[in-house]
Amino acid sequence: MSEATELPWLWAGLSAYAVATILAFRGVVILAKTSAISPPVRSNERLLLLLLVSGVLLLAMALGVRWERLGHGPFINLYELLASQLFSLGLIFALVYWRVPALRTSAVVVMPLIWLLGSWVLMLEPSDSHFPPTYNNNWLWVHVGFGKVFLSFCLVAAGLAGIILLRGVPGLGRWFAHMSDAALDQMAWRFMMLALVFDSLMLIAGAVWAQDAWGRYWQWDALETSAFMTWLSIGAGIHARLSYKIPVRVGALVILAIFGLAFVTYFGTPYFSEAAHKGVV
Amino acid sequence: MMGRLHRCGRMLASTRLTLVGMVLLAVGAGLSYGNPVTTSVWVLVTPLGLLSLNLFAAILVQPRINRRGGLLMFHIGLLSIVVLAALGRLTYYEAHIELLSGESFDPANVIEPRQGPWHMGELDEVEFVQGPYTVEYGSALKRGPTRSYLALPDGSGGWREEVVGDDTPLVLKGYRFYTSFNKGFAPILSWTPTGGVPVTGSVHMPAYPLFEYKQDNSWTPPGGSEIKFWLRLDTGYTEESAWVLDGRQASGVLIVNSGEQRLELQLGDEVALAGGRLRYEALNSWLGYKIFYDPTLKWLFFAAILGVVGLARHYWSKFDALSAAASLDSASPTTEKVVNR
Repeated sequence: MSEATELPWLWAGLSAYAVATILAFRGVVILAKTSAISPPVRSNERLLLLLLVSGVLLLAMALGVRWERLGHGPFINLYELLASQLFSLGLIFALVYWRVPALRTSAVVVMPLIWLLGSWVLMLEPSDSHFPPTYNNNWLWVHVGFGKVFLSFCLVAAGLAGIILLRGVPGLGRWFAHMSDAALDQMAWRFMMLALVFDSLMLIAGAVWAQDAWGRYWQWDALETSAFMTWLSIGAGIHARLSYKIPVRVGALVILAIFGLAFVTYFGTPYFSEAAHKGVV
Repeated sequence: MMGRLHRCGRMLASTRLTLVGMVLLAVGAGLSYGNPVTTSVWVLVTPLGLLSLNLFAAILVQPRINRRGGLLMFHIGLLSIVVLAALGRLTYYEAHIELLSGESFDPANVIEPRQGPWHMGELDEVEFVQGPYTVEYGSALKRGPTRSYLALPDGSGGWREEVVGDDTPLVLKGYRFYTSFNKGFAPILSWTPTGGVPVTGSVHMPAYPLFEYKQDNSWTPPGGSEIKFWLRLDTGYTEESAWVLDGRQASGVLIVNSGEQRLELQLGDEVALAGGRLRYEALNSWLGYKIFYDPTLKWLFFAAILGVVGLARHYWSKFDALSAAASLDSASPTTEKVVNR
């Protein structure tokens, strides 16, 4: 089986995401013109969800085809990390989009962010990777799974924080007039709190895996240090919100900063070290 | 007096102090990146100490914490993690060892041992014998699974076999023995000093196949002069295709340089050198292990899980209450737009 067989699935999945991104903008424009949730808005949302789910399924195929070819999951190089995150971020955002209608307008922030990863993955060589023996451990699955949920919830919170900030931009306020700043802020921090739970679980599972794989549960390698800083920043953000009545817009900036740190942890670390974790070789 | 204590406790329990501790901890974590030897342990101990004090005070005097079961569990979990991690550093033990196939573990042979001041382990009671091992390699020298065969006392005077490797350590008396990527070959040599009694030992060559091109080492026998060894191996090693490193299948010619002499020894060959006679008895292989001991490991895991369960419980009750409030509010037309869309 040639390497190229997985790429058409990847492109198709990203195309679905791209159209969903356009629909997200169309949705807020329609919403701005109508005072309530009109049938065109609902129809646009349904189409967006359908495209999002299609993108998730197509990306699942891309990952599956690659998995079949290489004999291991997408855990090693940056191309694999990005491709699998595109799948999981899309999947969890689709679930949240479906179950929590109040945050659907945040798709105008979330979808471009997902597409940022999509355009990045297209620039990378889909080179084959080697699965180290230390990765053949069930805790890796638990660690990666919790990590994906964590980043997805961070992304949802960042989407809501983005809406709070966009509401302050002259001319854009009417696009997002359906919710108050306070309601958006409360919902964004709810997702950040959920992110903290899954971030904690990710760190615990990672420590157990590291103990098995490399004989130490914590070594301050690039990824561990960065992941700990992210965990700490969420904790600090929540405490800051409790201690000082920080304005909603400042809170939104804090959420975006935390998301930025999480983003660097996931996708910047490969630039600092040869592999996701030092013990990979 | 009680009032003053309470005021003091409230000051220590301040969430603003938590923020200061968190910032200091972030700085300490940044400085600890990569475990540099130049970074003092105090960059972590100081903020962790401050945060522990802050946490302890908050648990005692902060009603927002001690009257909410989930939040209380989370903070107790966090405090327990800090205390256990500190205990772990006081009682830990770490070392490396290289074991020859057929060699019994001897704590006297460990390399670079490090331990906490309160370490009172039973390494002397650890007993096992290293058997053969195999390491699978894919093409382009991609390392696959390591399988190390060990013999352990079965408790009734006999031996039982255990296979360890990669993420499956040998655990004895709380000590965890992890196979490392470090392994290689070791010629077994006998040295008979002129007019003396023969002694037998091994010369560990550098890691293989990492230093496949540089299998050399030297040894100075008692009463003799330095002997340089170079081992020319035949292991079936190839970069083009998959192969299995197995010491039992390997053979090697030992090149000996002593003074002006240069000799090639096959297995069983003996040669006269300045100060005595050297015999190439056998070719053996060695495997490196990392030894790790921390009695707090499983308690750390439980404390961490307790903390997360507490946090999840707290958010669950909080979100549940908010959802209920939102449902009650849904009679209002403005909220309906938000909640019931």
